[in-house]
Amino acid sequence: MRILLAEDDPLLGDGLRAGLRQLGFLVDWVRNGDAAERELRAQSYSAAVLDLGLPLKDGMDVLASIRRTGITLPVLVLTARDAVPDRIRGLDAGADDYIVKPVDLNELAARLRALVRRSHGQPQERLTAQDVVLDPAARSVTQDGAAVTLTAREFDLLHALMLNTGRVLSRDQLEQHLYSWGQEVESNAIEVHIHYLRRKLGNALIRTVRGVGYMVANEAATDASKAE
Amino acid sequence: MKAPPSLQGRLLLLVLGLVAGVWLVTATLTWIDVRHELNELLDGHLAQAAALLVVQQAHGIDEDDGGVDAPTLHRYAPKVMFQVFHEGVLSLRSSNAPAEPMIEYSGGTVEGFRTIAIGGAPWRVFATHGREADVQVFVGEQVESRHSILWAVLRSSLGPLLLALPLLALAAWWAVRQGMAPLRLVGRVLAQRSPQALQPIAVQGAPSEMTPMLDALNALFGRITELLESERRFTADAAHELRTPIAAIRAQAQVALGAAEEAERLHALHATLHGCDRATRLVEQLLTLSRLESGAEHALVLVDLAALARQVVAEVAPLALNKQQTIELSATGVHTVQGDATLLAVMIRNLVDNAIRYSPTGAIVKLAISTADGVVRLTLDDSGPGMSPADMARVGERFFRVVGSAQDGSGLGWSITRRIAAVHGVVVRIDRSASLGGLSVEVGFPVRAGT
Repeated sequence: MRILLAEDDPLLGDGLRAGLRQLGFLVDWVRNGDAAERELRAQSYSAAVLDLGLPLKDGMDVLASIRRTGITLPVLVLTARDAVPDRIRGLDAGADDYIVKPVDLNELAARLRALVRRSHGQPQERLTAQDVVLDPAARSVTQDGAAVTLTAREFDLLHALMLNTGRVLSRDQLEQHLYSWGQEVESNAIEVHIHYLRRKLGNALIRTVRGVGYMVANEAATDASKAE
Repeated sequence: MKAPPSLQGRLLLLVLGLVAGVWLVTATLTWIDVRHELNELLDGHLAQAAALLVVQQAHGIDEDDGGVDAPTLHRYAPKVMFQVFHEGVLSLRSSNAPAEPMIEYSGGTVEGFRTIAIGGAPWRVFATHGREADVQVFVGEQVESRHSILWAVLRSSLGPLLLALPLLALAAWWAVRQGMAPLRLVGRVLAQRSPQALQPIAVQGAPSEMTPMLDALNALFGRITELLESERRFTADAAHELRTPIAAIRAQAQVALGAAEEAERLHALHATLHGCDRATRLVEQLLTLSRLESGAEHALVLVDLAALARQVVAEVAPLALNKQQTIELSATGVHTVQGDATLLAVMIRNLVDNAIRYSPTGAIVKLAISTADGVVRLTLDDSGPGMSPADMARVGERFFRVVGSAQDGSGLGWSITRRIAAVHGVVVRIDRSASLGGLSVEVGFPVRAGT
């Protein structure tokens, strides 16, 4: 899961980025409100962690501005402003969750996962498609009850597809989910990861929609439409 | 324990005292006046009676006609008496008069009024004599009787006043109490206020005399409100500002715990320590600022600003050298100002520290102390990025930090510097550095007379 972290404090930003990475997130870190708004408009993130006291543009203004232009990604506000009116203002301005500093990294991660899950209309913490179950918190995948070992990239790819079960994701969209800034994307990386996923989970789970992208379907495909 | 003086008692005492005083003066004046008039009138009667006797004697009284004693005609008669002597021989007297002349006049004659003792009591006596000096007449009257009249006059004129005095006191007590009612009302209003209630007191129909006191009280409430508000804001700000360093420490510590690689773990641990140092510095700065803002008096003594600058530059020089910056101090001789050495050192350190922190690697920082035109000037120039005019205007606001600076300052350094300057009655001026292009800071202290 790729998230945007907007935090101006160098030490806290560094710690949150490192901690969230440890917990399996891809983190892009910006240090001011202008950059946060720019990135949120340009890239597709699963969620954003937004500090309110940002330089150049206040977090609340960033939030109001992106909401006005119809960007609906889940936004978790992380702030030192703990007064109830501040919280209410934050939630009213379009925040999906509100955490007062200091925050436990595991809690932050859990809240982010929950926000992302809900934003995809998934009520369960575990994602299920056909006989495959993906647990985002434990970062584990089972098929028919048997554990399947995936690499981090394979897991993130499957996670993105399963969050969007029944929807086709383009190669670009998948790449945005898989790589944060500065990570080089090999030209056929997605194809390679899909190839390995199919090898581990079988061909029935992930379908190719030619010229568009990939999708995970809830029902196993008939033989006729089976992927190549 | 002695009860505090009561305003009501005081007023009552003054009013009653004045009434009693006026009454006493009136009584005294009446006494003097009545006595004078009475004496004049009765003395006139005495003289008149004496004249009658002299005239009567001149017309001849039969000396052998039944003795010298006049008959007593009224029960008040004993209060007066008379004697008529003809050629030294008592020829007529009232029955209560002695045989001897009231006033010894052997040989000559006596004339006029005397007050003498006869039979142990004071008498007012008028003596006169006939034209040929053969007739000597004495008419006397008991002084006691005059006093009785005097007392009767005084009793009837001043007595009712004496009776009225207690009534007057009661009335005055009631009036004063009524007059004091607004004061008691304010007292009750104040007593019933909770310690948190700091809104101005409004007393319906407060008299104009109380307005200055109420105004002063309300102004005091206003100042206390402001002070509490600034205190509350400070505490809120402080709590708010401490959350971020604490969050950073927590996050970094958690990263260290969860780190799979040694390098990542070490990085996080170092960051944790750095976070602790930062939180410590923030707390220290908050305490310094809070002490400065508490308005405590600082003893200002003569301090050599140049010596302080040398000491501070020596302390912070390693910071500058680490960033390959050039730091220069030009301060020859002694430049004495009146100040608090500890606070001034904090101020210089803040300024130099800022210049070093916010200037890039290889920058130049110049501190100079000089005296000219009656001013000891501390000037600090750097070749750093400087500040936009908007930032220059805002610098010194609590927790204000220049946007985009990578340094994790608290935004309190400038507030502290400004407060220290204020304690010394000087101002910190910041501008673009003409010589180095970065920021220029100037603080001017008045030269101490006689140094």
